[in-house]
Amino acid sequence: MNLVEKILARASGRERVEPGEVVVANVDVLLMHDLSGYLTSRVFEQEVGRPMRYPDRVVLVFDHHFSPPTEERAEILEKTRQFARRHGIHLVDCQNGNIHHVAVQRGFVRPGTVVVGSDSHTPVHGTLGCFAAGLGNNSHAGMVMPFGKAWFRVPETVEVQLEGRLRPGVTPRDAALWLTGQIGEGGAVYKALHFTGGFLRDLEVWDRWLFPLIAIDVGAKCGFIDPDEKTLAFVRAVTDRPFEVVTSDPDPVYAERWQYDVSDLEPQVAASPTLGNVHPVGAFAGRPIQWAELGGHGGGRLEDFRQAAAILKGRKIAPGVKLNLVPSSREVFAAALREGLVEILFEAGGSWFPPSTGSNQAINMGALSEHEAMVSTHARNFPGRNGSPKAMMYLGSALTVAASALKGAIADPREYLQ
Amino acid sequence: MDSRIRGRCIVFGDNVNTDVIIPGRYLVSIDPKELAEHAFEPLGPAVQERLRASQVVVAGKNFGCGSAREQAATCLVGVGIRAVVAKSFARVFFRNAINTGLWAVVQPEAVEAISDGDEVAIDLEAGTVEVKGRRFTFPPYPESLRRILDAGGLIPYLARYVIPQGGTANG
Repeated sequence: MNLVEKILARASGRERVEPGEVVVANVDVLLMHDLSGYLTSRVFEQEVGRPMRYPDRVVLVFDHHFSPPTEERAEILEKTRQFARRHGIHLVDCQNGNIHHVAVQRGFVRPGTVVVGSDSHTPVHGTLGCFAAGLGNNSHAGMVMPFGKAWFRVPETVEVQLEGRLRPGVTPRDAALWLTGQIGEGGAVYKALHFTGGFLRDLEVWDRWLFPLIAIDVGAKCGFIDPDEKTLAFVRAVTDRPFEVVTSDPDPVYAERWQYDVSDLEPQVAASPTLGNVHPVGAFAGRPIQWAELGGHGGGRLEDFRQAAAILKGRKIAPGVKLNLVPSSREVFAAALREGLVEILFEAGGSWFPPSTGSNQAINMGALSEHEAMVSTHARNFPGRNGSPKAMMYLGSALTVAASALKGAIADPREYLQ
Repeated sequence: MDSRIRGRCIVFGDNVNTDVIIPGRYLVSIDPKELAEHAFEPLGPAVQERLRASQVVVAGKNFGCGSAREQAATCLVGVGIRAVVAKSFARVFFRNAINTGLWAVVQPEAVEAISDGDEVAIDLEAGTVEVKGRRFTFPPYPESLRRILDAGGLIPYLARYVIPQGGTANG
């Protein structure tokens, strides 16, 4: 069995499971954010009406609001806080960071566990060797909260083997964007993606993170990486809570095996309307942007701010461009402060925002007009997600975001990295 | 519940995402009627008008991709849609459809045969989609999922079968 099959077997009290079987598994962690927590709380209290079975396994992170933009939103957040207190679940309030980064930094997510959440990017926790999948509100309110369980169909697994070394100016995020285009939206519907290979092995954990992150956007149920020494050192540095590591058997059975080499890649940009619209940066170079952002699901990592600083140090962004800097957690901001990145990026013309999920879904950092465009490290570029459905959203690496902010238009970062 | 429905179709293409089905700013609601007013809003009022006159959504590959928001299924229920027939579904949407009592049927050939505005008949028990005198079959749902759909969704299902018995949801 592979890692996901072993975890699902253990969580459902079976010796083994086969792809296609439906199992009822014990859930170790339920992650909810401020867009889903309120709704789930209403269904749970008004329609289910049973006690919270395992409050210690339920985590609510307010990450789409770092402060509520309206009275109505403030009221919703307050009601959700009261719900958290009533049931004794974990609450991480506004200004602490993105749901998935916080969940990892605070040790809620540990290897070998079943992680579910209402955020569709929940599969990112496969990075640490978890079975992690996104579910809807009713599953949480009806099954996870009252019983600590959820039903799952055991997925078929595809090996995604990544080999090669990136050229200068090309980052793991470029490789992940490119891979999204290679697999295609819906190219892995219902599958588990087992990321393997020398390229991945050489990456640090926060760069590996970018690969299970794309699982949902190619239609997969989950993505995972077998834990190694790097994974374990990473987890031990953030938590002393115990965990039991699960790894795949040697030579597990795959439905398919896909191999990719990243050696010849150029910087990649995915332009609205979908992630599948990904091309080498040259295809979009010169298209004007007014907003640039380092943040969003999967963005706002220390690695992103380091990359941007490598380009922006001693330079000024173009007149008319606004550069949003949104750390994914308080820990990231503290580290950026220590490394001098806060000052470098501020002096270049950027503005720091509270740790959160940034301008994602136009909740509290304003919206784009139909005449505007943004380049960012966000995870999605769907029309209307950050304001007008006519606004363009370009996704790229932190290097590409920084280079584009300098130019006021989509730019190839390699021009600035001589 | 009757295992058959008949209705008029509205046809969409591949990779219809949840931001198009129900924009994120409306997610504070779980009321199907309230959500229904904003279903497919980004595609404009003409599409919304046709949606309201339809009972079946027909779509290409990967319908409902993107966010895990359950309201993408709820808003369709609210607007009067009974079933979605697609070439394939994003898996969270499929799960959310079952859990909200919306039929989600995978039948790629039927999708090719259906034009906008066509009348179709779907029989969940027989596993058939009929349009313009042609009949397409699909494997019927497993019993466990049929019971959730018959109850009208996961919460009504639990309320009827599991919670009254003080059950452990293992059934």
